[in-house]
Amino acid sequence: MENVLSILFCLTLLYLVITSRLKTYVSILRAQGVLLSAIMVFPFLHHLSVHILIIPLMSLVIKAIVIPRFINKIIIDLDVHRIVEPSIQPFNFLLLIVASMSTIFVAAHVLSGYTPIEPIPFASAFSAIVTGIFLIIFRKKLIIHVIGFLILENGIFLFGTSVAAEMPTIVELGSMLDVFVVVFLMGIAINKISSTFAKQDVTVLGRLKD
Amino acid sequence: MIQYLFLIGCILLLIGAIAALLIRPVKQALFFVVVINVLALVVNLIFALMRLIALPAVTDLFPVFPDNASLFRADGLALFFLLVITAVAVPTIISAYTYLQHYLHKEASVRSFLTSFSLLLLSTQVVVFVNHSILFLVFWELMTLTAYLGMLLEKEKEEVQKGSFVYFATMHMATFILYIFFFLLHDHFGSWLFSDYHLSLTTGTIFYLVCGFGFLGFGIKAGFMPMHFWLPWAHPIAPAPLSAFLSGVIIKTGIYGIFRVIEFCSPLPVWMGIAILVLSVFSAIFGVWYALAQHDIKKLLAYHSIENIGIIGIGIGLGVLGVTYSVQSLVWLGFGGALFHIFNHAIFKTLLFLGSGVICNNCHTRDIEKMGGIVHHASWFVALFLIGSIAISGIPPLNGFMSEFLIYKGFFNASASLGNYFPLLMLLLAVGLAFVGGLALVCFTKINSIMFLGTERSKLQSFIVSRSEYTALGILASLCILFGIYPQSLLGIISSVITFNHAGIILQPYKMFTHWEFLTVIFACVLLTIVCMILWKKFNTQQRISQAWGCGYTPLTPRMQYTASSYADEINSISSHMLHLEKDVTAPKTLFPQQSHFISHSDDFSEKKFIAPIYRYIINKIDTFELLSRTDIRFYITFMLIMAIIYGGIAIVWPH
Repeated sequence: MENVLSILFCLTLLYLVITSRLKTYVSILRAQGVLLSAIMVFPFLHHLSVHILIIPLMSLVIKAIVIPRFINKIIIDLDVHRIVEPSIQPFNFLLLIVASMSTIFVAAHVLSGYTPIEPIPFASAFSAIVTGIFLIIFRKKLIIHVIGFLILENGIFLFGTSVAAEMPTIVELGSMLDVFVVVFLMGIAINKISSTFAKQDVTVLGRLKD
Repeated sequence: MIQYLFLIGCILLLIGAIAALLIRPVKQALFFVVVINVLALVVNLIFALMRLIALPAVTDLFPVFPDNASLFRADGLALFFLLVITAVAVPTIISAYTYLQHYLHKEASVRSFLTSFSLLLLSTQVVVFVNHSILFLVFWELMTLTAYLGMLLEKEKEEVQKGSFVYFATMHMATFILYIFFFLLHDHFGSWLFSDYHLSLTTGTIFYLVCGFGFLGFGIKAGFMPMHFWLPWAHPIAPAPLSAFLSGVIIKTGIYGIFRVIEFCSPLPVWMGIAILVLSVFSAIFGVWYALAQHDIKKLLAYHSIENIGIIGIGIGLGVLGVTYSVQSLVWLGFGGALFHIFNHAIFKTLLFLGSGVICNNCHTRDIEKMGGIVHHASWFVALFLIGSIAISGIPPLNGFMSEFLIYKGFFNASASLGNYFPLLMLLLAVGLAFVGGLALVCFTKINSIMFLGTERSKLQSFIVSRSEYTALGILASLCILFGIYPQSLLGIISSVITFNHAGIILQPYKMFTHWEFLTVIFACVLLTIVCMILWKKFNTQQRISQAWGCGYTPLTPRMQYTASSYADEINSISSHMLHLEKDVTAPKTLFPQQSHFISHSDDFSEKKFIAPIYRYIINKIDTFELLSRTDIRFYITFMLIMAIIYGGIAIVWPH
């Protein structure tokens, strides 16, 4: 079941690459939040307890509700809804992602022979990290950078669950807080930048240097 | 109760650091911080003294953390350095009270100076007790950074930005070298604790590597000659209390490190002692020679720090030779002389730097050539400065002489007991040290006569020395006199420190070397005679009233006076090529002189010949990577991804 959910997670990544509507990005983030919490709960379905449920519930609340709502608010405030950027064709981007994903899956399969990892969640997690980095590299909009960072963080989250059955609670709590603060700060920063520069591109930020 | 004193002192310093940021208005914050820091330092001074007297019975430093007892170690050497730090810091912080009054309009700068100075005091005191390599590096770095932040009191000036950057970059380099040093030690011994490191020549290459990196890293901090180039940059631009502390204490932490490196090694090879001796005598001679060519009072004092570090190094070298050949009296004379000179130099150099701060604030310049006639405004201040000058020149009734006396005795002792080629070497070194003393005397007669005597070169409205400055200078000057005529008080402590840190060697008491009581009596008589002569001259002779440096000419202008350059010219011309002294003279030729001018200027040899070319080379090489410098963050993320892929690839193909 975990494997199925992980594959679903990978599919959301592929969809993320070809879409150009910001609304879709946010709903994908939401879906990923739900998937992640489900993946975390599944191994413990037979002996559920409050202690185990705390982290998935928190990640559900933060990743699926709070952060998407906050990003939606930024999108409405800034009045950006579509990304039209000439930097890379969506199809080429898709090809790139598919190529790197297949490499990762093959590598994960090879690695699983040596180390005790579950290949499919591991590969999906790694794909999410790579996709997040590619999103940051190929898109100029600052808001997409925030989303790319969140995808990367989701990947790290999944990574933790795929390597160890149970991550230390304190680590997960820490990373959750980390994401929350980063999104919060970036939201404020983007708002500030939008009042100074006409477009919210990273290309204009070069002018800030002394 | 005593074991909690140090903890109380540290907490008080922390409170001071925080209070500097919180209390309003800034004037009250200044007062509060000065009071609390003095309190903390006095507490720590009492702690150091009580522990030193009770040596070798020593218990834990931080009794509240019994589990981590091995992280800190209060041995004799550490306690002695704590004594030096606190003894110097008390007058420094007292005089800082007045010094900072001049900057009260820049509130944020004063607050940040106070905070960083309190933290600097704290970290410097803790760093000597640390027994754990990583913890040592943490406090070492904290000490470096807080000193850097303190230097930025007048950060809007360009010279301050440049000088503090030189300090910062050099210290970064030194810390980097120390990282390698400690990692090598950890790699070899599998432990981070200082007390586990015991190197010997049989350990092979690691011995040479560790000694090399250790002496280089700590030598940069201490300011030995080829690595000294940061001192003349950093000292002049630092605020006077900080430059006093830099010169009095922080460069001594480098010496502390060298002591520790020596402690790790046993047995000590002969070449180590000789190398330290040669390097030190080189620093001492060229340090003082460069000092002679300076016009900037603080730069001059910075070069004198290099000279005195050289003298301390000579003592250490003698001690190392003593350990190598197991000559106990030489161990005592060498290390004892070095430790005593550390204390003495800390005192008189702090006195001189604080004094120079007073002068700079009143004259608004650091250029000696523009001062003059200060004695007519503040004769007591001049007397205190003179005491410091006499002490640093090593003239008998004061403390500078006492420590150099021990080192001279060390030379004679070494040549008598070691034999072989040592008598010749010791003779050369003794001549070198005597030469240093002579040049120091020339240098300080120069600055005292040019700055204080004569008439004012530029009009001086008033010369104000506040009560707190008089207190600070008075404490230091009286310590100079006290340890000059009664050195036994400190020598007893130094004896027990050396006995404690060289447990294998049973040392004879210091009393065997000379009859200290006679010295005390003689020096007290000399001092009394001088005082009587001054009083007699004041009341019994007629004052001759004429212009100073008049030489028989009548209508003199202040510009016609003897200058510092001309005073030192005769000696500087001997070495002008080596020291890069440049003079640009257009002398008046005809009967009705046209234009004439004179400019003299000195460049630092090691800076011009070694450091600057290396720096330029690196900068040129870095320029070829200009291509990679982008303003867009996406490029950097791509670079990171590429690097991650390369590392991942290497990790996969790496042979297991």
